[in-house]
Amino acid sequence: MSSSIGSECTDLKQKYDTCFNKWYSEKFLKGDTTPECEDLFKDYKACVMVALKEKQIDTLLADARKESPFPPPSSSSNSEA
Amino acid sequence: MRLFKTVHDFDYSWHTVSAAQWQKYPNPDCPHVQHVDVLDSSVDPETGVLRIERLISVDQKAPTLILRAMGASSTQYVREVALIDPKTKTMTLSSKNLTLSNILSCEESITYTQHPTIPEKTLFSQQATISAGSAVSRMASMIEDWSVKRFQQNALLGRDAFSKVLERFVVLAEAKEEAAATSGSK
Repeated sequence: MSSSIGSECTDLKQKYDTCFNKWYSEKFLKGDTTPECEDLFKDYKACVMVALKEKQIDTLLADARKESPFPPPSSSSNSEA
Repeated sequence: MRLFKTVHDFDYSWHTVSAAQWQKYPNPDCPHVQHVDVLDSSVDPETGVLRIERLISVDQKAPTLILRAMGASSTQYVREVALIDPKTKTMTLSSKNLTLSNILSCEESITYTQHPTIPEKTLFSQQATISAGSAVSRMASMIEDWSVKRFQQNALLGRDAFSKVLERFVVLAEAKEEAAATSGSK
């Protein structure tokens, strides 16, 4: 599994990735869209956002999201706008 | 602007291909991809489409001259949004560079769809649009503006200079004619 941009986040990421890959193949592709890895994602994402801020990528990201939403996330998304 | 397009058939089902996509990195054949992070993951409650936003950190090793001139490091970032629809068996990945966008814009779109007649196959199509960014376009405009002005100045100088040459030429020619006429009439 790939490492995270924040080296301190890699462990959290890999826990989330393991959960996601299992959910994706065993649930999502079989028609069950109930999310399962949200707690793991919350912890991992909090760590990544700190790393992005340190590297000053957070503003670039915010601008890119405004310019090309690609399409925009649904209302039940985990992201902050 | 440059366009790039390629298509390919994978001899695997769409389910396999779409799941394997999440395990593509790290990959020894793609050493330039350093990190992949998930920024957002959500299922649209109405359509059942999964949307995943990722940040990919890349070590691009662009020509050092370019990097130094732009004051950039060799690590660049790409933002990708994937849409996965398990009902239509379609996966679309759209990405665009986050950094160096004022110099270069590279937008890529990849789709994986189930083969229309052979379900064990997946169709892959990749398209990229690459264009110089606004800073380069601005510089190109500045170079063109400067060149046109300089050209106009030189054209004016050249015309004035030639006018003087013509005046002298005509004077000399007339003097010669007079001299010839005078000597002829003697």
